[in-house]
Amino acid sequence: MTETRRLDASTRQPTQAWSGNGSDMSVWEHLRKASPRLNHNPNSYEAQQLNRVSLDQCVKCTICETQCPVARVTELFSGPKYVGPQAERFRNGESVDHTLDYCSSCGICTLACPQGVRVAEINSMARAVMKQGHMPLRDRLITQTTLEGKLMTPIAPVANWALRRKPIRVAVEKVVGVHRDAPMPVAQRQTVQGWLKHRSGPTPRRSDQPARGPVIFFTGCAGAYFEVETSKKTIEVLEYLGFDVIVPKQGCCGLAEQSNGLFDGARAKIRALCEQLSAAGREPTIVSSSGSCAGMVKHEAHEIMGVEDPQVLDVGARLRETSEFLLDLYDHGQLPTDFRRIDSRFVYHAPCQLKAQGMGMPAIRLMELVPGVQVVESDENCCGIAGTYGLKKEKYEIAQAVGRPLFEKIKATNKEFAVCDTETCRWQIREGSGAKTVHPIHLIHAAYGLSEIDSPQV
Amino acid sequence: MRDVVVVGAGLTGLVASIRLRRAGLEVTLVHQGIGGLQLGQGTIDVLGYRPERVARPLDELADFLAAQERQGGPSHPYAVTGPEAITEGVGFLSQLVGPQLLVGDVHTNVALPTAIGALRPTSLYQPSMADGLVSLDPAEPGALHAGCRVVVVGIDELKDFPAQLIAGNLAATDLPDGGRLSTRAAQVSFPARGSEVDSTGLNIARALDDPARRSEFARVLSAVVEPGETVALPAVLGIEDARAFPELRAQLGTALFEIPLPPPGVPGMRINEKLTRIARAERVEIISGSALTGITAEADRVSEVIVATSGHDTHIPARAVLLAPGGFESGALRLDSYQQLSEPILDLPVARPSGELINDSWAREQPLFRAGLATDTDMVVLDPRTGGPVHRNLHAAGGILAGAQRWDEKSGEGIALASAMRACEAIVARCEEKDHD
Repeated sequence: MTETRRLDASTRQPTQAWSGNGSDMSVWEHLRKASPRLNHNPNSYEAQQLNRVSLDQCVKCTICETQCPVARVTELFSGPKYVGPQAERFRNGESVDHTLDYCSSCGICTLACPQGVRVAEINSMARAVMKQGHMPLRDRLITQTTLEGKLMTPIAPVANWALRRKPIRVAVEKVVGVHRDAPMPVAQRQTVQGWLKHRSGPTPRRSDQPARGPVIFFTGCAGAYFEVETSKKTIEVLEYLGFDVIVPKQGCCGLAEQSNGLFDGARAKIRALCEQLSAAGREPTIVSSSGSCAGMVKHEAHEIMGVEDPQVLDVGARLRETSEFLLDLYDHGQLPTDFRRIDSRFVYHAPCQLKAQGMGMPAIRLMELVPGVQVVESDENCCGIAGTYGLKKEKYEIAQAVGRPLFEKIKATNKEFAVCDTETCRWQIREGSGAKTVHPIHLIHAAYGLSEIDSPQV
Repeated sequence: MRDVVVVGAGLTGLVASIRLRRAGLEVTLVHQGIGGLQLGQGTIDVLGYRPERVARPLDELADFLAAQERQGGPSHPYAVTGPEAITEGVGFLSQLVGPQLLVGDVHTNVALPTAIGALRPTSLYQPSMADGLVSLDPAEPGALHAGCRVVVVGIDELKDFPAQLIAGNLAATDLPDGGRLSTRAAQVSFPARGSEVDSTGLNIARALDDPARRSEFARVLSAVVEPGETVALPAVLGIEDARAFPELRAQLGTALFEIPLPPPGVPGMRINEKLTRIARAERVEIISGSALTGITAEADRVSEVIVATSGHDTHIPARAVLLAPGGFESGALRLDSYQQLSEPILDLPVARPSGELINDSWAREQPLFRAGLATDTDMVVLDPRTGGPVHRNLHAAGGILAGAQRWDEKSGEGIALASAMRACEAIVARCEEKDHD
């Protein structure tokens, strides 16, 4: 006999209680009636959500303040509690504390909160409301990640050349507000779709592996256009293990727009993306090597922007980060572990947006299945970049200061090689530490003998 | 399959996870948010009051427990764990964090000045607090004794340390040796960074991790300290750099001690960071930010725990489960407006004292806090209605246990450590037994 002991989810999750359990008159509706002023606000969902229930759970223990990577390095940001559960009480659709703009949205505060307050989510929503009407052009431009990829791929050598020219970067800084030294992606000559079209065929399945049926691969914009090697290697490992990997045509998840408070654009993007991913199959697991985009689909779209679309929720429920997926296979005795030896000791940094997904750090256990591998966990909350935060000219120095202890640890541990699961974090770590920084799948790919760990692509 | 899932990352959960891992088990630690260590004083209380002040906690334990027994209600956790588990637990923690972080003796209580200038009994303390130690044994005076001159130095930029109040209260307190201290208050200005006028203790501690800022602070202090005075400071003397306190003390050339501040406290953070790093380095698998949402039970045992990962639930099969989520203060126990007590995640049966749970006195004990989970000596959760185990492999330790008034007794850390030891012992034995099957 199997029984499950748990209370009804609706009594536990503030976000679920909040949605009103499908009744006509949700808490939200009450608030909307009670507060006509908020009703006129074009971002009324966000404005309403400012009165979120979870902040009443704040006991002012101030643990979030002790963990905030931004408040650690600058007095310009008073920290997540002060701009969040504290200032929230004084907001009525308008912000009283504009230092909120210095929040990087890393989400460490929510992760650290022992009382379940959605500190980062409250702050992201409050910032979206605050920036209404005076959104910098820069924030509209740098969030168009698919467009950037599409423009740069055909002219990759020129784009890469231009991004390395100081005078051009200075001009960009002055005109657009992207810092001249901020880390930039390296444009590739071929997209993932281009590679799929031109390769001779799928990677042959290992002789001892069963045919495991389809999985859908979600590339993310960076994985489609810039970190193409990571996508290729993920697809190859999955095929090698016996999966049929479906890579549907897909757009952007809207994360960059979301974190910049451009919710309308982000909502449209996430819906379109989930439509595309769902069209590829209603049942298969969806795998992604783009840790932060996975977080957007799994919970941020819902929790920060109030996207209740069943398709988005369904795709979020089926989505697994690559290491999470492979480690789950291992825990079920289905992952071959006859890995080649790779003698390497290196720093692994789990990005904030991966940590925020509440799955621990599956990459550590996964990589340590490879003989000779010694993972040194970074012990740092954040690398500083936080998506587009560290690109901005007024925040670049802060982002560098946040990342510095991590860069130093990498230089002291293994200055050649480091591992991190998300793209922008890798750009930041490469720039800051000089180490070749890759997704965990590169190591697994090499350990299966599908590539050399020190091959140029890594 | 994991051997053990530990729920909660306070003192109990961290110490138990490391202990179980060192016994060779595969341990997953699941927690929602950071544990309670940095909300405490950064000291280890074993038994401070019974209700009179306790000088020798282990020697006085039997009398204390006999009085508890007469009072009725759920058994005190120490009656369940026995005194050996206290010694073992405190010893294990001391060895984990080392003498740079904890000194003192589990058998002997000392009194330390608090942030309102009272004297608080505890067993183990941080070396940076040693110069403020008041002995409870009149025959053996501590660092602070009758006639000592203490200057309590406040920092203008730190609002949580009322130097005047502390100095006044300390001077008005009779020491166990019958004498009194001679105290005065002083103020210095030390912005943690830039021109910050309202700093947290943590930001000042981070500033003092920098040797240059330490020297600057020593210069600022020496202007207000008179020869022969012991200096009392807020507990902000470095967070990462263990050399911060000894260097500052040497530069100042005088006795110097830290007084813990209201939470979040730097001394507690030091222990939390140290234990968390040990757990990570020794490959306790840590799943942060994930609430436990349920368990699946087969027959009389738990087969897996369910945690709320983003987007989906994660089912973690395990041979044993240790619940260490804390008590009411953590939301792990609840009382509703109908006086219904519950354990809100798994709906486990809660043991409660008979009679009224809450009274209208602010000074007397509130019986409510004796409510919690009842266990056997293996810390297996029992149903108080039947006396039998709820699930044979579901253990509980720390603040969720019934029978203690942890704040009044000053017994929180001792209970955490002793119950963690007992639970670990039983879990290791069970896993070894299974290995032979």
